[in-house]
Amino acid sequence: MKLVSISLRNLRIRMVATVLTMMSIIVATALYAAIVVMAEQTKARYEGSIGGFQAIAGPNGASELELVLNTVFNVGEAPGRIPLEVCQKLREPQGGRLSRTRVRYAIPQARGDSISRFNFPVVATLDEMFHKFEWKREPLKFAEGGAFEFSWDELIVMSKALAAYQNAVREEAENVPPRPLLKEKWKEAVVGSRVARQLNLELGSTVTPLHGKLGEFGTHEHEEAACAVVGILEPTNSPIDSTIYLPLGIHLLIADHSQGVFLKKPERGKSPVQVEDQPADPMRIGLTAIILDPLDHLGSHILRTEFGSHAEAQVAWPQDVVPKFLRQIGNAADALAVIAWLVLLVAAVSITVAIYNTMNERRREIAIMRSLGARRMQILTIITGEAALLSFFGAVLGLVVCHSAEFFMRALVEDLTGVYLDWSIFRPWEFWLVLGVTGIGAIAGLAPAVKGSLTQVADNLAQNY
Amino acid sequence: MIHLRDVKKSYSRGEQSVLACAVDRLDIGTGEQVALIGRSGTGKTTVLHILAGILRPDCGEIEVAGKRLDKMGESARDRHRGRNIGMVYQTFNLLQPFTALENVLLGALFGRGAGGDAKERASSLLDKVGLGDRMHHRPGELSVGQVQRVAICRALINDPQLILMDEPLGNQDKTTGGQVLDMMLQIASDTNKTVIMVTHDPESAKRMQRTVDLASLRSGVAEEAAK
Repeated sequence: MKLVSISLRNLRIRMVATVLTMMSIIVATALYAAIVVMAEQTKARYEGSIGGFQAIAGPNGASELELVLNTVFNVGEAPGRIPLEVCQKLREPQGGRLSRTRVRYAIPQARGDSISRFNFPVVATLDEMFHKFEWKREPLKFAEGGAFEFSWDELIVMSKALAAYQNAVREEAENVPPRPLLKEKWKEAVVGSRVARQLNLELGSTVTPLHGKLGEFGTHEHEEAACAVVGILEPTNSPIDSTIYLPLGIHLLIADHSQGVFLKKPERGKSPVQVEDQPADPMRIGLTAIILDPLDHLGSHILRTEFGSHAEAQVAWPQDVVPKFLRQIGNAADALAVIAWLVLLVAAVSITVAIYNTMNERRREIAIMRSLGARRMQILTIITGEAALLSFFGAVLGLVVCHSAEFFMRALVEDLTGVYLDWSIFRPWEFWLVLGVTGIGAIAGLAPAVKGSLTQVADNLAQNY
Repeated sequence: MIHLRDVKKSYSRGEQSVLACAVDRLDIGTGEQVALIGRSGTGKTTVLHILAGILRPDCGEIEVAGKRLDKMGESARDRHRGRNIGMVYQTFNLLQPFTALENVLLGALFGRGAGGDAKERASSLLDKVGLGDRMHHRPGELSVGQVQRVAICRALINDPQLILMDEPLGNQDKTTGGQVLDMMLQIASDTNKTVIMVTHDPESAKRMQRTVDLASLRSGVAEEAAK
């Protein structure tokens, strides 16, 4: 038998009070741990995910943060669209003003659909995403299979054919060219590692994009765009793992997409109806973003200058936007952490009160132990031990609650914030948190412990209960 | 074994000071079994607590098992009590949440330590007093006689040199309680332990080797009533 077994027994015989007091410790610890986990995972996720996304061109009017969150972290809806011509000019070796921007690549993207109840976002793009795009200075690696084929040239050809078809229909021409068909060879998809894991996808599996997100009004499956998985990417520990890549052609030719695929050029002096009535321009396919990689500092500088005054597009720099965003998150996390510490403080006071209130009824028990030879310090240790054990178990259960919450809410959190919570990792600071909470509990137990240790032995032994 | 000289202990009641006990001289040898008798209020329990080191007298010298308790600090007295003194109370003072075995082990924990073979010793003691099949029962599940035996085992667990008993038969029938007391006195005798029992019951006092009337100790010379 040890002193700790007496402390444990004392907690057990006052089970209701113990559980109620422990609840506040559990809540405080879980709250604090959840805040730190979110802040830490958000920081790690966001800092670690910008490697590769040097610059993003997106629509004017959206904030840079919105653009970065949507394009890099799959958060929220696409903030708007920009015409294909912006991308074309960035890619041209000579020509438009933007061609001077010296970029290594400019890859168009369009998004808006999703897959499965996990709402994995569908990104329609070119095969360059797997050849030219560099994730931390290396092309994306495939765990299985390879990239689909859909090139820039195919996009231009298809865009021109679609524009010609739509214009002929609009003008009610006699000879309407055939609507471009969704080629079978485009019905291919590359999926991120988490998508493959969660949906048990393997090469040859079929994925069917959903219009919008599951559960939203008007959601429906694009059966005509069901694609076979041709490649599964290696894990990058970034939102890429949760993304499904399809050829941009599919996105444009899906029945209800093609109607609004072309952006109309706003012109001064024309009403919205007149603008909408303009013929389709093949170079004005709507994209949600263009992934850019400037060649050098000069390229970055030119990009900033050129897009600074662009009528329809802007460029966002994840390396600038994300740290600012994280600082804001950090401030919010600090404020929440203060609240969690206050909850812990209240819990500590409740420990003091709960144990202090039992001291009167425990005087005889303490006197008996003293008569058996227990020193004051041992009584102090037993009572402080009770408070410490109560806090220890509360802290451990608090962490269990936190990890359970991470487990059950990870899909929702990722969908809302782009942050993937890895519930199975035990982080070193959790050990220190348990130790800290236990220490705070022990300190909270000191006042009743001192009172207990000062119990008069002879007086209380004489009482016959 | 025990030497008390000019020991006085008084309590404050408001502005009044009440003399609880006064012992001019008391000597008890090793292995003696002594009944301490006296009318109610003569300070029998107070003397017992002073001998145990629970109370510190206002003045006087106390030597127990070769140690001057009056010169020891509280912590040292606690340690001395845990290791060298076994106590049995009228109400037995077992801790209700603990089983018989755990109550005995508590004596070891605050005495010579509950590690090593303490559990075996406690089990063996409980076996010896006929509680081998009751050692995992709580005090509330035991009869008064069984509780008394557990209290005796707890007093013996540290193999103390001195056993102090405060009205150990006070709450139970004399026949059953007497048998248990006799058993304990036999164990004490076999192992040469000193036993002091406070009692107001002449029958119980007769079981001891000698009887000391506490009232007589105030006059300066202990008057002993031979058996």
